[in-house]
Amino acid sequence: MLVFKNTFRDGVGFDAILVTLALGYLVLFSAFPLVYNLVMSFQEVDLFSLASFDRPFVGLDNYEDVLTRTEASSIFFNTVKFVGISVVAQLVVGFALAMFFQLDFPLNTWLRGLFLAGWIMPALVVGAVWSWIFAGDFGVLNYMLQALGITDAKIFWLSNPDVALYSVIIANIWLGVPFNMILLSVGLAGIPEDVYEAAQLDGASRIQRFFTITLPMMRAQLGAVISLGVIFTLQQFDLFAALTQGGPANSSNVFQYWSWQLSFQYYEIGVGSVISVLMILFVVFVAAIYVRSTRHEQVM
Amino acid sequence: MTSQIQLRNIEKHYGAYHALRDISLDIPEGAFVALVGPSGCGKSTLLRTIAGLEGISSGEMIIGDQDVTKLAPRERDLAMVFQSYALYPHMTVRRNLSYAMRLKRRPKAEIAEAVDQIAKITGLSELLDRYPRELSGGQRQRVAMGRAIIRQPRAFLFDEPLSNLDAALRVHMRSEIRQLHNRIGATSVYVTHDQIEAMTMADTVVVMRAGLIEQVGAPLDLYDRPANKFVAGFIGSPAMNFVDGRISGDGGSVELDLAGAPSLALARPATPGQRVSVGLRPEHLEVGAQGNSLTLPVALVERTGASSYVLTDTPSKILVCTAGRVGDDVGQIIVSIAPENIHLFDAETGIALR
Repeated sequence: MLVFKNTFRDGVGFDAILVTLALGYLVLFSAFPLVYNLVMSFQEVDLFSLASFDRPFVGLDNYEDVLTRTEASSIFFNTVKFVGISVVAQLVVGFALAMFFQLDFPLNTWLRGLFLAGWIMPALVVGAVWSWIFAGDFGVLNYMLQALGITDAKIFWLSNPDVALYSVIIANIWLGVPFNMILLSVGLAGIPEDVYEAAQLDGASRIQRFFTITLPMMRAQLGAVISLGVIFTLQQFDLFAALTQGGPANSSNVFQYWSWQLSFQYYEIGVGSVISVLMILFVVFVAAIYVRSTRHEQVM
Repeated sequence: MTSQIQLRNIEKHYGAYHALRDISLDIPEGAFVALVGPSGCGKSTLLRTIAGLEGISSGEMIIGDQDVTKLAPRERDLAMVFQSYALYPHMTVRRNLSYAMRLKRRPKAEIAEAVDQIAKITGLSELLDRYPRELSGGQRQRVAMGRAIIRQPRAFLFDEPLSNLDAALRVHMRSEIRQLHNRIGATSVYVTHDQIEAMTMADTVVVMRAGLIEQVGAPLDLYDRPANKFVAGFIGSPAMNFVDGRISGDGGSVELDLAGAPSLALARPATPGQRVSVGLRPEHLEVGAQGNSLTLPVALVERTGASSYVLTDTPSKILVCTAGRVGDDVGQIIVSIAPENIHLFDAETGIALR
C-alpha cells in the first residue's frame, strides 16, 4: 500500500507499475492462451476433459491425425490461394489507387475518405453485404453481369464449389484495399517531388521513374503492407462465417476457419489446436520479415 | 559543343497570377548567366520553365537550333542542380552519378570510366559507395554537380545550389563552381537571391523583379550604370543610399532635401528643376571635405576593424562606409563624393537619368 501512496504522491515506482500492468496483460491474454494452445495440441482433449488440466499426453498423434485427413491438403491449398491472391490483388489495386490519389483533382481527399468506409466497417457486416451482392437468384452482381451480356446463366457464387472460394477472395480484396492504399499513400507522399524532377531531367520516362525511383523508395512500405496483408488475411474469419461457412464440401474452407470448426463445432479441440499452432509458427515468421523491413527504413 | 538558349516573349500565368511577363533573353554559348532578384521575382520559375518542369503560357524557347517550347524535360538535354540537391536517396553516390547513363543503357565499361573521371573532378573518389544520407552538405552538393556534369548536357541550370550551405562553405563552393565552369565551358544559368553570388560568379547578370527583367548586363556595368532605382538598390553591398532632391536652376547641381539644403555638383548637366532621387553608394562617400561635401549628423558608428560604418541621423538614413577609423564621440561627419559617382533617378519613374 505504501508503494501506491508514494506513487500517487511523488511518482516513485510509477514506471514499474506501468510495466507490470502491460506485462500482466500480455501474460494473461497473449502468452497464456498461446502456451495453453500449444500444450493442448499435444493432448487428447474432448468435451469431458475440457475442464481439467490433467489430460492424456498423446505426443504428435494430433499432428499426424489432422495432416493425414483427406480434406487437409485441399484446405491447405485453399489457404495458400486465399492468402496469395488476396495479398497480391490488394497490393496492386491499393498501389494503383494510392498513385491515382497522388494526382491533384477536385474532391480528391473526400473520395479517398470514402474508400476508408469499407475498412472501418465490421467484416461481418461487409460479409452480409457481399452475401446479398453474391446472391444467386436476386444478387446485384449476377444482374449486372447478365445486363452487360457478360454471362447468360446465373452464377451461384456461394454455392458453386468451383467459385465459392473466389467469391470470398473478392470480398476480402475489397475489404483490404483501403488499408493498402492508405499505407502506400503515406509512402508515396514521402518521396520528394524534386527527386522525380531530377530523374525527369536525367532522362527517365514515366515508366522508368516508377521502376527506378518509386518502387525502390517504397521498399519499406511494400514490405510492411505485404507482411501485414498476409497476417490480416490469415486472421480473416468473419467473411467465411458470413458467406460460405467453408462450404460447400470444404471447397472454400481455409485453415483459420477449419481450426475453429474442429475446436468449437466438432469439439476435436486437440486437433483444432494443432492447426492454430502451425499458423502461429507461420505468422511469427512473416512478422519477423515485417520487423526487419521496417528496421531498414531509410532516413534522408 | 554547347549551344545558346533563346527566350522569346515568355509569359507565364498561374491562374490570375502573372509570374513571368514578356521575358526575352539571349544566352550565348558558354556564358555563365545569373538570374537574380528578391524572392517571388520569378527567377526560379523562369529557370524551371527553361528546364521544362513548368509549362509556359505563351512565347518561344530555343536551345541550340531546336525549338524546345513543347518538349518534355527529358527531351531537352539539360542538367539541373537543385537547391535541395534532390539526390536519389536509395542509390549510392556511384549510382547517383551513373543514373542518366544507365537509363540510356550505355556499356558498363563506358559508365565506369565516366564515373571515375567525374569522381576525380569533383573529389568524390573516396565516397562512391556511400549513400547520400552519409554525406555532409558540401559533399552532397558535389554529387549533385557531378550528376549534372557527367551527362555533358547542352546547358547547366542551377537553382540556388548554395543556399543550404553554411557561409564559409558557400564561399568555397562558389569558387569551385566557377572554376568548374571555366574548365568545362558549358552554358550555365544560375539562379540566386544573393547579389554577391551573382556578381562574383556570372559573366552576365539578369536582374528580375515581379516577373519582369529589370536589367541585363555585365556585373560591373550593373554596378556602375544601373538602369533604374531598383537595380541600383539591389546590386552592391551595402545597398545604395537614396536621398530625394531637386536639380538646381542651372542644371549643374542637385539640392538635397536635407537640413540646410546642401547641394552637390554634377558631372553632367541635368534638366533644371526636375525632382530626382539621388543615389549615393556608401563606399563612394569619403570622410573629409574635398569639393562636393555634405555635413551630416551621426546616429551610430559600427567598426569592423578594417572599415567603419556610419549611419546618419537624417530623415532617410544615409550609410557611410569608410576604410578609415572614425572617432568615438563624433556628433557630425563631413563626407564628400566625386561628381561622377552620383546617380540620379527620376523621382516618379525611378529610371536612371544619364
